[in-house]
Amino acid sequence: MRRHAVLLVLIPSLAGSLAPGLFAQQKLERRFAVDSNVSIRITNMAGTTRIIGWDRDSIAITGSIAPGASFFGGGKGGFAKLGVERSDETLAAPGSTLEVRVPRGARLAVKSGTASIEATGLTGELQCVSVSGTIQVDGGLRLLVAESMDGNLDVGGPIGVSRITGGRGTVTLRDIRGDILATTVAGPITATRGMVSRAHLETISGAISYEGDVDRRGTLETVTHAGDVTLRLPATIAAEFELQTFEGKIETDLFPKGRVQHRPADGSPWTFATAGGGAQVSVRSFKGTIRVLKQ
Amino acid sequence: MTCAELRARLDAYVNGTLSSAETAAFEAHLDTCAACGDFLANAAERPQELNALPRSVEPDADLWPAITGRLAPRRALRRGIPVPAWALAAAAVLLIALSSGATVLLLRSGTHAPVTLSSRLEGVEAEYAAASDDLGRTLEKARARLAPETLATIERNLATIDSALAESRRALAKDPANGVLEQLVVAAWRQKLEFLRRAAALSTET
Repeated sequence: MRRHAVLLVLIPSLAGSLAPGLFAQQKLERRFAVDSNVSIRITNMAGTTRIIGWDRDSIAITGSIAPGASFFGGGKGGFAKLGVERSDETLAAPGSTLEVRVPRGARLAVKSGTASIEATGLTGELQCVSVSGTIQVDGGLRLLVAESMDGNLDVGGPIGVSRITGGRGTVTLRDIRGDILATTVAGPITATRGMVSRAHLETISGAISYEGDVDRRGTLETVTHAGDVTLRLPATIAAEFELQTFEGKIETDLFPKGRVQHRPADGSPWTFATAGGGAQVSVRSFKGTIRVLKQ
Repeated sequence: MTCAELRARLDAYVNGTLSSAETAAFEAHLDTCAACGDFLANAAERPQELNALPRSVEPDADLWPAITGRLAPRRALRRGIPVPAWALAAAAVLLIALSSGATVLLLRSGTHAPVTLSSRLEGVEAEYAAASDDLGRTLEKARARLAPETLATIERNLATIDSALAESRRALAKDPANGVLEQLVVAAWRQKLEFLRRAAALSTET
C-alpha cells in the first residue's frame, strides 16, 4: 500500500521532469542580436502573439509554450524566424503566448490560426494573417497589411499605407491617416477621427461608418452591396459628392441650403458640391441606406 | 537557393517583399536554372496574354450559358492532395492579372469601336469565372488540411458573396447599360476571387 502511494507521487513528477513539453506550460526566454531593419517571420497558430517595438537592435522573446508544442527561433543580421510548432496545427487550444520585442523599424510577417495578434510601437512594415484570431495594431507603421477571415481587426494611429481585409469580423479604424483600403464580407467597418488622403472602404453586407475629415485633395470612396453607409463629415467640408443607391435611401443634411435638389429617384447618381468642391466623396450601394451627415 | 525554395518564394518575389539578399539569391538561381526560368515564364504568360487582348470585345456567341455552367455548385469535395506553394503563387499571379485586366477592360470605353457594356462584362465575367474555378480546385485539393470551423467560415463568406453577386447580376439583366451596376458585379467577383485566394493559401500553409 505504501509502495503504491510512493509510486503515485513519483510517476507524475518523473514524467514531468523527463518530458516537460508534454505535461506543462514551458516558460520561454530568448534573445539575439539583429539589424535595426531586420525581416522577421513569426508563426503562432493558437494563443496570443504580442509584438512590441523597442529602440534596440535585438529581438527578445518571452512567454509560455503550450503543452505538446515547441518553440523554434533564431536569426542574425537582416533575417530572423521564430514561432511555435504543434503536432496538430488545426487545434484551437491549448495556445501559446509569445511576447516579442523587436527593433521598431523591423519588417514583420506574422501568421496565426486562432491566435490573437497585438502589435504596438512599430514604425516599419507589418503583414499579419489570421484565420479567426483578432488583430490589434497601434502605432506609426509605414505599411500595414492585415487579414483575418473571421476575427476582428482593430487599427489605430497614423499608418502610411494600410491594406485591411476582413471577413465576418468587425474592422475598427481609429485616428487613421494616409492611404487606406479596407474590405470585409459581412463585417462592419467603423472609422473614427479619420483624416484620410485616399480611402476605399468596401463590404458586401457589412455596414460602413466613417467619422472624420478628408484631405482637401483627397478621396473617400465607399462601396457596398447591402450594408448601410454613414459618413459624418465636418459641416464646412469642401467636397464633391456622388451618392448612388439602387434600392436603398439617401439622407443628407450637407446639401447646400438654398439650392434646388435634383434628387434622382431612379438609381442614378446624386451629385453635388459643398464649399466649392475639393475632396471627392463617393458612396455606391445596391440596397443599403446612405447617410451623409454633419458632425 | 534550390528550385523548391525558389518556387515557394515566387509570390513574395512578385510582390516585392523579399529582402535584397533573398532577391539576389532568387535571381542568381533564375540565371542558372532553365527549368525555373521556364516556370516563371509560364506563370507570367497569362498577364501577357491579357495585355494582348483586343481593346474592344465582341463575343460571337451568347457566353452566358457557359459561364453559368462553370459557376454551378461543384460536387462533394475530396480529401487531401497537398498543393505546392508554387501553384498558389501562380494562382495569385493569375488573380492579380485578371483583376487588373478586368479593370482595364471595363475602363477602356469610348476610345475605340463601340462596345455594349454587357458584352464587355461578359468577357470579364468569363475570365473571373475561370479564375474562380482554378482557385476553387486548388482549395478542394487542400481542403482536408483545414479545420472544420475554418471551412464553415469560408463557406459562410462565400455564400454571402454569391448571394450579392446573384442579386447585382439580376438587377443588371434588367438594366444592362448601367455602369455602376456593372461595377458592383465586378466588385463582388473581385471579393470572391480574393477570398478564394486567401482560403486556398490558408489550406496550404496550415
